[in-house]
Amino acid sequence: MHEPHHPVQASYLRMTAQEITQDVIQRHESPGRQFWMVTSVLAGLLGLGIIGFIILLSKGFEDRNAWGYYATTFAYIFTAAQSAVLISVALRMVKAHWRRPIARISELFAAVGLFTFLLLIPLLWVLPVTTGRRSIWFEWPGHSPHLWDTLALGLLVVCGLALLYFASIPDMAAVRDHATGARQNRYRRMALGWQGSLHQWKKLQVGISLLGGFYFILLIVVHMLISVDFAMSLVPGWKDAIFPAFHAITGFQSAVALTIVTMSILRWKTSLRRYIEADQFWGLSKLLLALSLLWFYFWWSGFFTYWYGRQPAEQSILKFLMFETYKVPFILAFLLCFVTPFVILMWNFVRKTIWGPTLAASIVLVGTFFNAIRFYVPAYSIEDSSLHFLETLPPANTPGGVDILIIIGGIAGAVLVYMLASRVFPIVSTWELKEGLLLQRVRKLMKIQIKVLAKPE
Amino acid sequence: MANKSVLGLFDNADTAADATDVLLEAGCAQEDFDVLTGSPYPEGAFGEKNPKHHIYVFPLVGALMGLSVALLLTAGTQLAYPMVTGGKPILAFPAMTIIGYEGTLLGAVIFTILGIIFESRLPRPKLDPYDPRITEGYIGLLVTCTEEKVDVMEQALRRGKAVDVIHEKGRAL
Amino acid sequence: MQERVRLSDAQINRDLLRSIFETPKWYWFLVAFLGLVVLAGFTAAGYMFNQGLGVTGLNRPVMWGFFITNFVFWIGISHAGVMLSAILRLVQAEWRRPATRAAEVLTVFSLMTAMMMPLIHAGRPWRVMYWVFPYDFARGVYPNVRSALVWDPAAVFTYLTSSILFVFIALVPDIAVLRDRTTGWRHVMYSVLSLGWRGSVRQWKLQLIAGILLSAIILPIFVSVHSIVSWDFGTAMSVEGWHSTVFAPYFVIGAVHSGVSAVVTVMIALRWVFKWENYIRMEHLDALAKLLIVVATGWFYFFILEFIFGLYSLEGPEVALREMQVFQMPWTALFITFLLCAYFIPVPMWLIPKVRRSIPLMIFTTILVNIGMWLERFIIIVPGLARKQVFTFTWGGYTPSAVEIVIVIATFALVSMLVLLFAKVFPLIPIGDAKEGMILYDEIKIGKVMVPAVMREE
Repeated sequence: MHEPHHPVQASYLRMTAQEITQDVIQRHESPGRQFWMVTSVLAGLLGLGIIGFIILLSKGFEDRNAWGYYATTFAYIFTAAQSAVLISVALRMVKAHWRRPIARISELFAAVGLFTFLLLIPLLWVLPVTTGRRSIWFEWPGHSPHLWDTLALGLLVVCGLALLYFASIPDMAAVRDHATGARQNRYRRMALGWQGSLHQWKKLQVGISLLGGFYFILLIVVHMLISVDFAMSLVPGWKDAIFPAFHAITGFQSAVALTIVTMSILRWKTSLRRYIEADQFWGLSKLLLALSLLWFYFWWSGFFTYWYGRQPAEQSILKFLMFETYKVPFILAFLLCFVTPFVILMWNFVRKTIWGPTLAASIVLVGTFFNAIRFYVPAYSIEDSSLHFLETLPPANTPGGVDILIIIGGIAGAVLVYMLASRVFPIVSTWELKEGLLLQRVRKLMKIQIKVLAKPE
Repeated sequence: MANKSVLGLFDNADTAADATDVLLEAGCAQEDFDVLTGSPYPEGAFGEKNPKHHIYVFPLVGALMGLSVALLLTAGTQLAYPMVTGGKPILAFPAMTIIGYEGTLLGAVIFTILGIIFESRLPRPKLDPYDPRITEGYIGLLVTCTEEKVDVMEQALRRGKAVDVIHEKGRAL
Repeated sequence: MQERVRLSDAQINRDLLRSIFETPKWYWFLVAFLGLVVLAGFTAAGYMFNQGLGVTGLNRPVMWGFFITNFVFWIGISHAGVMLSAILRLVQAEWRRPATRAAEVLTVFSLMTAMMMPLIHAGRPWRVMYWVFPYDFARGVYPNVRSALVWDPAAVFTYLTSSILFVFIALVPDIAVLRDRTTGWRHVMYSVLSLGWRGSVRQWKLQLIAGILLSAIILPIFVSVHSIVSWDFGTAMSVEGWHSTVFAPYFVIGAVHSGVSAVVTVMIALRWVFKWENYIRMEHLDALAKLLIVVATGWFYFFILEFIFGLYSLEGPEVALREMQVFQMPWTALFITFLLCAYFIPVPMWLIPKVRRSIPLMIFTTILVNIGMWLERFIIIVPGLARKQVFTFTWGGYTPSAVEIVIVIATFALVSMLVLLFAKVFPLIPIGDAKEGMILYDEIKIGKVMVPAVMREE
């Protein structure tokens, strides 16, 4: 017989709706011993981070330089985790069918927002008032960023959690229907009386798209506030209109990378292989490639304008952030955020594998960390932010023991929150998969099997 | 021994796909028939052989050549007329990057176009055997075989419910 | 909902080739009228070459006026082609099918027009060769690659060459359709141009690869072209408001905004003129309008970045410039018109589903966007130059003269005329693409409804 050129992907299409529900709910009920082993290790690491934090706290808030790596950790977790939620929002907006198995994986990062918000609080004491220096608050009171940034991030976190909760209601109802005893009671309360009536589905769809749109706008705003208030405005002479947009782009980039790595780990360690397939990796790797190119484009736009201008204020910024003081993190970020992922992902056959996107995504996740270092550490190493421009460059701040404890603890804490959240909300969205069963078919066209995707309006 | 082509016309794609089975039975190899259509069908829909190509080499070669030419041009002209402008070095890399970038992409595009034309085996001086009805929605099954098998193939095409069979008029390929 | 009708290949040929085989009475009148306007433009340009740039309103220190604004505007329109055809091809959006060719053709003609603007602006266009082409071997004087004015022609030339080649390769199968339906000298012409296309498996496969591969290569060119145009301004130190790091993406997305709007305008015009209701359907306008909401909002974000960070430094001249743009007549009027036209009228309207499916309202909003985006370029370019600075002793204002106005109007006539002439020779909706859409179209029955669906190769 004739071999089809392209075997049809998406093996979950061969399952029934009941099989999918059973399978996912069962996994959700008993995650296995390994899960608890990993969480305890992470809790231990978080403990180390807390020790580091207490040491840092004991030195007080006056020495801003000491807080550079703490701010970096906060920014890194914020850019990656908070942007990750957007992947499911954006893919839902464009009605991509391949997003179905991974929508919840990315949404679940909204839970990390709680941890991000906790990390922000100490930084508010470190951040100097805006009076007497450049900021986007112009003539507003000196504590404006402290107030508005906190509110904005808080709103973003609440919005993300609401989105996560809303999108999981049908799944929590499914858990309720399969559980007994106290667990059933708990999920009965959480499912808010979901029956799956047409009216409820309609409301759910509208709610999800409204919250998604709102989240998108809020995220862009928060990126702008955090990048300017917690980094750019602390460096005298750094006036860079593209920086908030660049910050958002690196956010999207690390979000895609984070989702790919999470998918890989789930494929590797759990029974979710049949949902997360090459299709999903292919889709996301194209996004990652595009975002890696955009990383270069946005960086270049800023760099080039500065390089061409030859103005002293701008030249010292270039030297400070890229070519002298913080040369190492810049070069690493450039190689790991742009060059390596580009070289790996430019090949379509690599994008269609599992290992290719995983490798590139892991590299990007390391790269975006150095990318955070090269902005936040320098920004906190400047004593007087009210100067007109940087006439003398302060020395580079290399990480000490406490900094490393905080970085490890912070990242471990974020992963821990994510894993615990996956205990509450099933990590695969069964209702979206079941909707996918309805809207996708495999049928015969002349001599081949081909996938048919419904495009309802 | 000269090869001849014979073209069977079908008024519907499903019939044409079924007719390929008749052709295979009649002793035609999978690489000996081609399908002429007025619009692209999903790959393998007629059970045809997947054509091999090396199109991806072309843009890479073009990009490399474009980049080299652009760099030679920028570096060469600046060194030939070394005048400092705007306090920038004679060989100012960020500025050269821009011309280099455009050169790379121009080279890539031109080579890709050449590659597409070459890999499509175009330009083709004669169409024979061909029928204008193909661009009207008919499907053409083009069989290339030795001269003595032409009749066998024609019969196979007719058995496969071809509405018309057209023979090559000119000399053998 | 979709309003799709199943059409046979023969029917598609008949419909889409109508623009070539039937000539309505008004056609030549319209072409002749546009030709007259173009002629007036060329006459004005000739007069200006003869008399010198003094006949324009350009004056110290405003040396860039209508011509450069118009240049940036047409470069912007040219970005529609790649935005629509390349990005939508790469994401395999079904609704791209009727829009791609029109967008690409608009790209080619608006780029040609755009390229003419700096040539005219130079006053002595034949001199441009010395600045741009590295050919002067005899004297050893070469153009300065450190100048943005050399990057510009390099980028535009690359973009123009690539788009022409792209349009041509995508046209080959359609030219074969024409070859099979013509006789006489036209048959000979189409035979040569179709390169002997037969529609074999290999040829179609490479045609599809060409679409994807060329899209992927042209996309970075498209981004670079408008970025480089923006650096004409961004690299200038002495003009306030120009030296901004965000200019490149801000210009690119602004170009996409005006370009996609222009494609919508053109598509509606084609639908009406050639009766292509079965091909350019309401669902396409709906999808394009949704895309425009996203693009417009993205553009608005960059506009805000540009504006806030203009003020961010709180340096006197910068603040004074923004004050002039917003609070001084006539700039206030222009500024308000620009914001209303480019964002605050069209986007809320597109949010209403009925507007997205209404032809008159879509025409209205998309034309509005382009009025707004023309003004945007004008407001970026002229006030920065017109503001009085230290050490500028002759200080004139800027009022466009009749010569400039005529030339700018003529560019619009030129692009329209070229698109009309193109439609007489080649189909403006890709025939092969429309047929492929019919093959891949399917329906899935869910309960009691049939949902439109599409077949997708992995």
